[in-house]
Amino acid sequence: MTSADILSLLPLLVVATTGVVVMLAAAFYRNHRLSLILTLAGLLTAFISLPFVSPLTPRQVTSLVLVDGYALFYMGLIFAAGFIVALLTYGYLEQWDGNPEELYVLLLLATLGAAVLVGSSHFASFFLGLETLSVALYAMIAYNRSLRRGIEAGIKYLVLAGVTAAFLLFGMALVYAETGTLAFSGVIAAAGGGPSLQLMVGLGMLIVGVGFKLGVVPFHMWTPDVYQGAPAPVTGLLASMSKGAMFALLLRYFTPVMALERQGLVWVFTAVAVLSMLGGNILALTQDNVKRILAYSSIAHLGYLLVAFLASGPAGQLAVAFYLVAYFATTLSAFGVVTVLSTPDDEAESLRAYQGLYYRRPWLAIIFTIALLSLAGIPPTAGLVGKIFIAAAGVQASLWLLLIVLVLASVIGVFYYMRIVITMFRRPEADVVQPSMVRLPRAASVVLGALSVILVGLGIYPVPVMRIIERTVARLV
Amino acid sequence: MIVVFYIASGVAILSTFLVILQSNAVHALLYAILSLLSVAIVFFSLGAPLVAALEVIVYAGAIMVLFVFVVMVLNLGPGAEGQERVWLQPRTWTGPVILTLVLIGELIYIFLARPGLALGGPAIGPQEVSLALYGPYLLGVELASILLLAGLVGAYHLGREPSD
Amino acid sequence: MAEVPTQYGIILAAILFSLGVAGILLRRNIFFVLLFVEVMLNAAGLAFVVAGARWGQADGQVMFIFVLATAAAEVAIGLGLLLRLHHQFKTLNVDEASDLRG
Repeated sequence: MTSADILSLLPLLVVATTGVVVMLAAAFYRNHRLSLILTLAGLLTAFISLPFVSPLTPRQVTSLVLVDGYALFYMGLIFAAGFIVALLTYGYLEQWDGNPEELYVLLLLATLGAAVLVGSSHFASFFLGLETLSVALYAMIAYNRSLRRGIEAGIKYLVLAGVTAAFLLFGMALVYAETGTLAFSGVIAAAGGGPSLQLMVGLGMLIVGVGFKLGVVPFHMWTPDVYQGAPAPVTGLLASMSKGAMFALLLRYFTPVMALERQGLVWVFTAVAVLSMLGGNILALTQDNVKRILAYSSIAHLGYLLVAFLASGPAGQLAVAFYLVAYFATTLSAFGVVTVLSTPDDEAESLRAYQGLYYRRPWLAIIFTIALLSLAGIPPTAGLVGKIFIAAAGVQASLWLLLIVLVLASVIGVFYYMRIVITMFRRPEADVVQPSMVRLPRAASVVLGALSVILVGLGIYPVPVMRIIERTVARLV
Repeated sequence: MIVVFYIASGVAILSTFLVILQSNAVHALLYAILSLLSVAIVFFSLGAPLVAALEVIVYAGAIMVLFVFVVMVLNLGPGAEGQERVWLQPRTWTGPVILTLVLIGELIYIFLARPGLALGGPAIGPQEVSLALYGPYLLGVELASILLLAGLVGAYHLGREPSD
Repeated sequence: MAEVPTQYGIILAAILFSLGVAGILLRRNIFFVLLFVEVMLNAAGLAFVVAGARWGQADGQVMFIFVLATAAAEVAIGLGLLLRLHHQFKTLNVDEASDLRG
């Protein structure tokens, strides 16, 4: 490894070092605020280092990691998500009587795993990045270990993630047995020689593993339960970072495989996209639990992203990158509102807890409304612009069936998003016990305000983000 | 060597099958360890002595002992055993067993349908594995250490008594 | 050593993997479910070693070592959660320990 190699890994090294530093700091001197400040400083440094690393790219560091514009863009998104989740966590855990420091260590390790995932160019780094993310998430989901639902959600996620990790590994081994290489580029080249049955079985098992992480139909069973049982900020992380990182990898390496292979895989992904868009939105209609509604909504959003994935090409790349930015900001904003209204032992998840929110906390209700409008794809929000990009990519690739389903699913989606909005603006009934008025944490308020500004800003003037995407992600196409 | 491979494979399959049928947790663990040991022999017959040793030391030696430790802590008594036996009525498992047989049949068909390929080359010893591990896979080793750190911090947090 | 055909090794791994899947479908006790997750991961590791032997490369064994590390991390957290679950629900049955409903 040359010094330029190490330098181009700087963002990853900074996050890894910060994780260890926060852990050691907690071992000697437990202080919640110190852990937060170290975490934020580490993630900020990693984020700032990205443009400095950019001139060195694209660079293949050993056969495992490929640092290029594409990886750096998604790393930036992941670090930003980690930063926001850390800030939200602080207010959430402030009054809790357990130890909050370990959550920051796990958050940093999960961030590192996700960042490695988007930079991976080899089965080994793909798998290790994914597992680092998963193992950190198991403990984060069950972080409040005196709570039954947290433990249950943690076990559920662990067993299902363990089984899918085994599927993923077995698929990798079959592909390796057939092609003799573990690097993505080599696998894609070897697959071009004509796909054999064994290779197809291997790819199928890989898709099971990827599909589970994305939480798309038919691998979605875990999503609502785990979203509901996990602490609210961790749910935000699950919905944004874990799914986004996996999707970035899928987009980069499955697109060439799909191009090689005739039709079969395209039909599989088309079916998954249609089922996810419709299934997610229809199942969300029947829910009264805000966290479960958002879980089903995330299933549908991954379905929308799959439309852009199937469209592929530069338009698809642009659409996915922009949609993921919008989706990250929207999801974190929505779960941020749930977070500030919750405590570790009492999550604000039933729809009743939001009744008349506008009259108690007008700003919070407005922020949540903006996030829900963005999820529904109503102007003037980033969600709408993202959907227009996806639709444009779909039109370019003439995916008419998918586009019809996309529009239909979006219309269904409006109903349940509006249901939450209407609940917030309805006057509270006299007999409903009002949740206690906890003081809003200052850090979280600032973050939520900033996210709302970003959501509306991107909805009105998306050009700056598009410029960055064109300069990083689209440069490769 | 091929005879060794077949016998070890047979034992591995049979003992894994018996893990499924055991209602007693300790008996099931013994079968699981037997299965791992026979897989270690398979590794040896495939010319992979280092991972054969690791299979015995880490899998059978460390990971399975963790399971034994949990059995001791929980003291899964005769009550739990009876409960497991109730769950293992033939009617509860005929369906999954048939499904599994179909799955195995399919997989065997897939792999037998291909033209024969012999395992090539001599044994790959510890030296070659180490050179790969600390050469092209150096970042993988570092990542695996981060992964274990995440496991350590998580297990520490979950395992501690809530009263601290 | 050249006489063991690759597909027999892969078939062995596939059978062990399928037995692991069957075990998870059959057993309702978290303890056994975690045990079968380990069986499945081990089968995947075996498949890697067989594939590595086919190509005469060390990569398969390196991947096995990574799988080993993963299995260890999974089992550490899994058993930690299992102890907590036993503490909270007084049962290891996955069907009984179910508070999360939509």
